[in-house]
Order: sequence, then structure tokens, then C-alpha cells
Amino acid sequence: MAALAPTRLPIYRLLLRSQVSRARVLALLAIGIVGIVVGFAIGAGDRIDELRAGARFINTFGLSLLVPVTALVFSAAALGDPSEDGTLVYLWLRPVRRSRIVIAAAASSFTVAWPLVVIPLAVAAWATGGGSALVTATVVASTLALVAYTGIFCALGLRVKRSLVWGLLYIFIWEGFVATANDTAGRLAVRTYSRSVLTEIADVTLRFSAISSPYRWIVPPLVAVVALAYATRRLRRQDVA
Amino acid sequence: MSDARILDRGYRAYTGPRLGVRGAVRSLIVHSIQRALGLKRPVWQKILPAIAIFIAYVPAIVFVGLSVLLPDTLLREASGVLPTYAQYYGFISAAIVVFTAFVAPELLCTDRRTGMLGLYLASPLTRDTYLAAKAVATVALLALVTLGPPLLMLLGLTIVGSGPDGPIALLGLLAKMVLGGLAVAVLPASLSLAVSSITSRRAAASAAIIMILLASRAVSEALGATASTPLYFGLDLLQLPIELVFRIYGEFSEIDGARTITTGTLVAAYLVWTFGFGLLTWLRYRRLTVTR
Amino acid sequence: MTVLLPPPPPPPPPPVPADARIVVERVSKWFGDLVAVSDVSFTVGPGVTALLGPNGAGKSTMLRLLCGLTPPSQGTVAVFGGNPRDDLSLTRRIGLVPQQETLFENLSALGFVRLAAVLHGLDDPEGAARSALAVVELDPDEPRPIAGFSKGMRQRAKVAQALVHDPDVVVLDEPLTGLDPRQRLHLITLFEQLGAAGKTVLVSSHVLDEVERFGRRVLVMAQGRLAAEGDFHAIRDLMDDRPHRVRIRSDRARELATGLLERGVVVGVRLGDGDDVIVDAVDAARLRREVPVVAAELGARLYEVAPLDDDLESVFRYLVGG
Repeated sequence: MAALAPTRLPIYRLLLRSQVSRARVLALLAIGIVGIVVGFAIGAGDRIDELRAGARFINTFGLSLLVPVTALVFSAAALGDPSEDGTLVYLWLRPVRRSRIVIAAAASSFTVAWPLVVIPLAVAAWATGGGSALVTATVVASTLALVAYTGIFCALGLRVKRSLVWGLLYIFIWEGFVATANDTAGRLAVRTYSRSVLTEIADVTLRFSAISSPYRWIVPPLVAVVALAYATRRLRRQDVA
Repeated sequence: MSDARILDRGYRAYTGPRLGVRGAVRSLIVHSIQRALGLKRPVWQKILPAIAIFIAYVPAIVFVGLSVLLPDTLLREASGVLPTYAQYYGFISAAIVVFTAFVAPELLCTDRRTGMLGLYLASPLTRDTYLAAKAVATVALLALVTLGPPLLMLLGLTIVGSGPDGPIALLGLLAKMVLGGLAVAVLPASLSLAVSSITSRRAAASAAIIMILLASRAVSEALGATASTPLYFGLDLLQLPIELVFRIYGEFSEIDGARTITTGTLVAAYLVWTFGFGLLTWLRYRRLTVTR
Repeated sequence: MTVLLPPPPPPPPPPVPADARIVVERVSKWFGDLVAVSDVSFTVGPGVTALLGPNGAGKSTMLRLLCGLTPPSQGTVAVFGGNPRDDLSLTRRIGLVPQQETLFENLSALGFVRLAAVLHGLDDPEGAARSALAVVELDPDEPRPIAGFSKGMRQRAKVAQALVHDPDVVVLDEPLTGLDPRQRLHLITLFEQLGAAGKTVLVSSHVLDEVERFGRRVLVMAQGRLAAEGDFHAIRDLMDDRPHRVRIRSDRARELATGLLERGVVVGVRLGDGDDVIVDAVDAARLRREVPVVAAELGARLYEVAPLDDDLESVFRYLVGG
């Protein structure tokens, strides 16, 4: 990074800097640390099935909470903040392809969110004593979920005001409530796919993880691509400033 | 003689009645409740409270409808068809989380961000009475989803003839209902007030409240499944008040680990959290710089 | 009973001059029920043009339309013949100073302007940014991030980012707010220089004495409509129903006024307290011709002939009904 001249990847660098605020990073880091502590507590307990206990914890704490909320906090702000405070005009009124702005925004929020999410979860997974398969499963599943959520919330940030609120409603009312009604509704939630990946790699069974093999790998990135394409279209059409 | 006259002199001293501290507190409570519900505000501001209230009240209406439609014999035999009043909270926990996350940030953060707090404190309100008014408003708003639906269910069941037998039983049930409704409202209210006193960004406060509620649940669940001591249950800010409601009705919930914890410990944990968050809020406001 | 007649059709837009760079044709813009710009047509060529109007007249919306930041609800906007909304290459030829205060707060002024230079694909973004900052008198080596800038410094950083790529059209929305008098003068001089160098400079303002200093060509907007365009003295002369008020100082002021009245040049005379009279004339050009003639006939010495309401403010007040 340091070796990169300030003229390379200018939008990515700009948005990266604007998203990294101390309060945001510290708050999310604190939650990650709570996850690690709980991971150790699970590992220290006298459980017979540590793999299953660990996988359940990664699912409820990581895939259902830490991953989507962290993605929301950064991705919704990536283009949402400049759009709301009017600084988007300083990127928009330049001979720069709109897709480039959107991709830079998604890449920058992914860059900030990934270490804040995947590292604590991987450590927590290791601490539960669920074995290396659980660690690998955690890294892959949370990365995959982060890709999808980054795309979704980048588009959301550009589309609505108060995107954090709507994003939270999506995460907790839609994904956490409506999409747990049955398997069909579950297919409309990102976390069902990442949960399926977790169970496949770690070789455990969890509820609502019945997505068959190719789809659980293809759908999350596809969701991101579609969402970013929508965001690009939106950026081209919407009013600026 | 000139016929000139001045019709408006700009500033004029107020000569009407002065309502004092009580009037100020009362109007602050009323305005806070109106604001959070989106009353007298654009339609966008009404959506969120409408969703939460919808989620909270629909089960009550459905259950009353069921008790009308299903024959008495079936209801008596299959006792699991209608939930108990305590079990009802399991159906509406999403509405409680939504309201907890959005009410207090709306009431506290907005005033600090827009500078309204300075104007309020220039009125007969002090920091303490201001906070008290906001706390009352928050609890009242939460009671709208925690107390209203069971009351509606009771009313419906009484009308269709499936309510409690006799006025004394009814009064006893009402007392439990109010106590239970407040129990589910007060702890989340103090949590959300505390978080809202830390950041003046409304959305950040909402996100933090939801995170804390759900993370405390996930953590308590993970630890409770592991350790034999039931104390971890006290970490669960979402289930703790609901479990308390079960005890108020003299029941036990089906939550793992809840049965082993004594009611005394439960009440103690509840009070520690509630007063802890309250104290944090009070300290934050005592040290707050209102105007520069 | 009142019969509502359809409004008369607006006059056809004047023919587009050959050097027009911005062509606005029958443009309307509404946001829901609010009509911000209503059926406006004008052209802007090289030089400085001031866009005037009271607050809420639709100036900012008009400037946003010109830069393609929002599409017109009706009509067309063309800059160098292209649509600024779709044509990305046009952004190289447009520089905008928007109204809002917020910038990229954690960048330095140099970083902010350099970012613009980089995105415009300039060969030497660092050098271009430094010279743009020098033009607005901001220190390129100022280490503070923009978050710590005063309003005037922000305003100048905004001007620098708009000029860094040497655009042919510079659009400035209220660029002088928050500046101290010296900085105002500096920027006004800068606009004049840009105009003299053949750039199209379009400046909006609601502060009239500012505008009077940087250009005689004005576009006046009121309530979303174009109220007038052109040289403001010429606009004043068109306002026939309102007499021009001129103060004449002379050693024989009363006789002079009488003479002018007799010839029908002036329609009203008010005597001043000493050697001056204030006359109202419908035809300002004729008054200018006749005053020296009458003075010569009477053998009077003229000390001063000064128009009292030929300034922009009175034109403006007349047009926007203030």
C-alpha cells in the first residue's frame, strides 16, 4: 500500500480512507474480540461435540451477525455518505466510468471489512476446538458471505437514505425472521448459502442449510455482481448533489 | 392626531400561564412519543413504527380469531394451540428488537445532533428532568408493543368468553400483565438510552443496540450450552426480561438453562443491567458539553 | 364568470449564436410538485456571464442541469453540442464549483485538487494541482486536512479543483460566499481573466454589487423562469414603463431642468437642496443626447450627470418584483 503512488487507484484509496474511522473500527473490533473470548469458553467447556458447538456459534454469531452488520456499516457508507453529503459530485463530474467508481467502492469496503470479520471469526473457530476443517469452513463461508453483502449494501447505500436502518431491517427482519419460515424462503437469504458452505466444508449439519452444491458457491458472488451492476446503473441515472 | 399604529413589534414578553417543570416534562414526553411514532411527520417516518406495531399486534388478533373459530373442545384438548401470555413475547421479539433499536436513538441522538438539547435545557428542564422525561417516553413507547398486544388479546378473549373467570381473577391477571409488559420494556429501554447517550449518530446507535441484543443472545447461548452454571443466562439481554415475565406468570420458559436459574438471581441480573445502563446514561449526560 | 384562457405560447427562442457553448432550450425541471425551472431558453458564449436571482429562484438547479448532475424534466441542455448527462468526455471541458460546503474532509487541499487532476487523466497531476492552488492563493504544502479549513479556504479549494484541468466552461455556484473582501476581489479578477482568455464563465450569485463588478452580461431568474438576459444596461433601457432617474448638477440646475421639461425629454423634476436637480426620463438615450445641448443653449456648466437607478440592483428589483 505504502509503495503505491497517490495517483494509482485514486478512488479506491479515497473511499478506503473515508470509511476507516476509529469509532467504527474499534466498535467492530470489540465485537470480534467478544467472539474470540466466547470461542475460547466453548473450547474450555467439557463438550462432547465441539465441532458442532463451534459451527453453531460461528453460524449464529458470525454468519448471522458479525458478517452482515460489518459489511453493512462499511459498504452502505462507501457511496451512501458521499451521495448524501454531496461530495459524490467530485467523483461524478470526471471522465471516469461509473462502473469504476462502484467497483472501487465495493473493493474498498471489502478491504476494510475482511480483516475485521474473517480474522476474529477464524480465531474464534480455532479456539472452540472444532479442528482445522471448522477454521477453513469459517474463512471460506464468511468471505463468501461478505462478498454478497458488500454488493447488496453498496447498492443499498446509493439507493436509499438512512441505508443503515434499512440494511438492519433487511438483516434482522428479512434474513433473521421471514427467511427462517421455511426452506423456500431461506433461499432468499444470503446467510442460508454461507451456512451451507460452512456445513459442507466442516461436515456438520445445521438447520436451513439445504442449498445444493453448485448453487451455494455460485449464488453469493452472483448476487454481488447483480447488485453492483444495479448500483452502476443507479449512479448513471440518479441526481447528484 | 395621527392614525399611525404599530401592529407587530417583533419580540414580546410571554404573558400566558407558565406551566413550570411539570408542564415542560409533560410536553417533552408527548412530543417525544409523537416524534418516535412519526406523528405529524412525513409518511417515511411512519413506516418503521408501523411495521413494528404490525408485527406486535397481528399475533394477538390471530389468536383471538382462532379462539372464535375453533370449537371449545378442541381448544381445551389441544392446550398448545393458544400461547400463554408469557409465551406471546416469543412471537413478537422481532418487534421488540426493532422498537428498542429505533426509539431511543430517535429521542436522544437527534436532540444532541440538532442542538435542540440546548434549547430544552434553557427551559425549566434540567439534565435530570430531561432524561427522566425521555426515559418515560421510551418506556411508554416500548410498552406499546410489550403491553398493548397482551391487553388486546385479553380483551378479545374476554369478549368471546374465553377470558379469566370473575373480576378478581381478571384484576390479578391485569396486574401480572402490566408488570410483565413493563419488565420487557424497561431493560431494553435503559440499554437503548445508554447506547444513544454515547454516539450522536442515530443509525450507529441503532446498529449498536441490535448488535448488543443479538450478540448477547449468541454469546449466552454458546456459553450456556457449554458450561453447567446457569449464570451465563444473565448475559442474554434479549431473553432475560422475557424469562422474568414467565416467572411473573408462575411459568417456566423452554429456553435451555433458564429452568435452573432462581427467580432471585434473575431479578438481580435484571436490576444490575437496568441500573447499570441507567447510570451510564446519567453519567454521560452529566458530563456532556451542550453548547460550545 | 371567469373564463380561463390558455396562456399565450411563449415566444420562440432566439436563434443560437455561432459562438454559443451552452445552449438551453425550453428546459423545465420539477421535483414532485415543485417546479424549480420553468420553460427556460438561453445561450451562453465565451466571457463572464452572471446568473442572478433571489434565493430559491432556480439558479442552483439550472447550474446542476448545465453540468448534467440532474436531467431536465423537459427540454434539452447542450454543452459543446453534447448532452452533459451522458457524454463522459464533456466532463473534461467543464469545471464546477458546487454550492455545498462538504469536501473530502480527510484530504489536504493538495490531495483534493490532485485527485481531481488524476481523475481527469492529466499528465502531471501534482504540478497541475500546485498551480491551481497557487491561482486561488492556497498554500499547496498546507498539511492540515480540509476538515480544519475555514469557509473561505474551502471555497478556494473548490475553485482550484474546478480549474485544475483547464476547462473551457467554468460553472460557479455562489463562489464568493464566505470570502473576505480581499479574496472576493481576487476571485473576481480571476473570473475576468478567465473570461478575457476566452473561457465561458457562468457565475451565480444573489449579491448584486459583486456581480456588477465581473460582467455586464447577466441572466436573471425569478421563480424558476428566465426574467431577462443580456447586458444589464440594455435590459434597463428596455424597461420603458419605468422612468430613468438621473441627477444633474449644474450652476444653473433649475433652468436646465425647465429646458428639458419644455422639450419633453423629462417627465418629472425634483429640485435638490443646492445646485442639483433629479429628473425622470422615459428615454434614457435621448436624455443623454439632449442634456449637453440644452446646457449649451443656456450657457450652463455641467458638473455631474449621474444615473441613480441604472445599477444592477434597480434592474434586478424591477424584474423580480422586489
